[in-house]
Amino acid sequence: MSVALADVQFSRQGQAVIARMTGEIDLSNAGNIAGAIIDAMPNASLTLVLDLSAVDYLDSAGISLIYQLRESLRTRSQTLRLVVPSNSPASDALRLAGVLRHIETIETVAAALHNIG
Amino acid sequence: MTAENPRFDVVRHAPRAGQVVLAPASTELVPSRQVRTLYRLSDPELSELSLDEFLDELLVRVQDALAVDTVAILLVDDETQQLVARAAKGIEEEVQRGVRIPIGQGFAGRIAAERVAIFIADVDHADILNPILREKGIRSLLGVPLIVEGGLIGVLHVGSLRPRTFGDRDLAVLQVAAARAAPGIERARLFTALEHEHRGAMLLQRSLLPKRLIDVASVDTAARYLPASDEVGGDWYDVFELPRGRLGIAIGDVVGHGLSAATLMGQLRTALHAYAVEDHGPARTLELVDRFVQTMPDYAMATAAYGVLDPDTGSLCVASAGHLPPIIVGDGVARVLDVPPAAPLGAFPYGGCQQHQASLSPGETLLLYTDGLLERPGVPLNTSIEELREIVSGAGSAEAVCEVAIARLVPARGPRDDVAVVAMQNRRVPVELSMRLAADPRVLGDVRHALRRWLRERGADPKAITEITLAVNEACTNAIEHAYSPGPAEFELRATARDGQVTIVVSDVGRWRPPRGSHRGRGLAIIDAAMDEVQVDSTARGTDIVMRRRV
Repeated sequence: MSVALADVQFSRQGQAVIARMTGEIDLSNAGNIAGAIIDAMPNASLTLVLDLSAVDYLDSAGISLIYQLRESLRTRSQTLRLVVPSNSPASDALRLAGVLRHIETIETVAAALHNIG
Repeated sequence: MTAENPRFDVVRHAPRAGQVVLAPASTELVPSRQVRTLYRLSDPELSELSLDEFLDELLVRVQDALAVDTVAILLVDDETQQLVARAAKGIEEEVQRGVRIPIGQGFAGRIAAERVAIFIADVDHADILNPILREKGIRSLLGVPLIVEGGLIGVLHVGSLRPRTFGDRDLAVLQVAAARAAPGIERARLFTALEHEHRGAMLLQRSLLPKRLIDVASVDTAARYLPASDEVGGDWYDVFELPRGRLGIAIGDVVGHGLSAATLMGQLRTALHAYAVEDHGPARTLELVDRFVQTMPDYAMATAAYGVLDPDTGSLCVASAGHLPPIIVGDGVARVLDVPPAAPLGAFPYGGCQQHQASLSPGETLLLYTDGLLERPGVPLNTSIEELREIVSGAGSAEAVCEVAIARLVPARGPRDDVAVVAMQNRRVPVELSMRLAADPRVLGDVRHALRRWLRERGADPKAITEITLAVNEACTNAIEHAYSPGPAEFELRATARDGQVTIVVSDVGRWRPPRGSHRGRGLAIIDAAMDEVQVDSTARGTDIVMRRRV
């Protein structure tokens, strides 16, 4: 009996699917979460907004999840927009892993939805 | 049809074949030894018997007194208004096959419906419903109703394998047996039904309480449930994990007793747990449970208290719906928490349950309890709460708090009302952290919580805690991914602090594998970036990753 570490909630806005993740993402759940997000992404959608602002913890397995999602979306001609506010736990992990300067992050979901059809 | 026997007063001619309705016997009974045993069916010593034991006793005595081949007792099933074979001698099949006779039909059914004695001289030519009577070769039957205070409770009948004319004396004997036994049957039946409900409620109560308490590294928990000596009640407790390493602790007391209280208790415990894991917080959770109680079809009322502990910070948030105040025990002193009590659940539609913000430091224990623990006639509740505070103040563990409270406050013969207590201690953080862990990704969450607590106690600032936790998590991930050994694989974590520097060692039993792929590379990058010093020591028994950082 233990509580699920993380949860993902989906919503749609126009052509975008917003996946809001909460809780902790590590080796124990990253694979399942990636699968759940891919499954929830319809072919007709153009963009996935992955919202990490309410994530309490993210490690290298979580960072791999982001890369894996980006790859899967690219093969379907879809794009990933990553919401990671500065000074959030997710941004700490991205900074320490040295990937923050290689991937584009956006401060808010509203900004991520800007200019999407 | 030859059953008309001149020795009986026939009160009216039976409209059904073969049955003769008899007037009550008028014979003055000569009290033979056998008849005296029937009179004694109402002796007080028999009142202790269970229903089955009492009926057996009746069967034996009737068979003996009348020298008959069969005796059977059918009792009225109130729900179906049928007679159900409950005990028999010579025709045990009646009971084994669960024979049911609708009241009004056949031999026994008519005795019950018309409350008369009926004699059947020849079964072969009579209107009887139950085939077992013919199968067994019974030739003649005599039956009387069992009546208590004007109410019919069943039928008692005897049978003979040879044709037999049951005479007036036989009827008188059977009537004595029925009159003397009926109250005993009713009493034993009520007693057995109560026993049955009591046992059922007890079983239910047990099955609705947690089978075992949670096992997490951050807290120690203990609980006790003591049923009341006579009746089961609706007390419950619960302890469960919440998101982000926090823990929920709940207690409640449903107003009332018996099966219905125990059932409601189970529903409330489930409802509270369900709202709690949605992370609504104590006050909102109790409001939602109250809303749930308001929708119950039957009037229901309960008190409850619910607290959420974040062991990482010691933050404790408690709300109460009319429940007794929690007590916090630590270092030889105990204090009563001043939680603003809202109305009990189900009392009236309410809102605005307030929560009380407190802290439970490492080593301190939170105690929740129900009023059964304090119930003593004539003693004001506040005095009892003060006494409880005094009693538990010296206890040093969750187990000890429960133990001393029960030992000192519950009478040896058992509580008058049921009692539940549940305690949770925020575990002391050891000076050195040492954990032996299964090589399973599911341990990572616990490792992070234990490490954060330890780092906070060592005076690390929030940034250092975040970064060191990330690094150690990556070292553990590495150990888990690369673990290989026969049997269940394990790894170890040791953390020490000296002169403002923490040293954390993660040891696995495998050989260090250079990171492969970008995934592991990022893990190593995190370790390097987060720690001042990283060193990989490969030994014969495995690999140690040694990480140091100033805090």
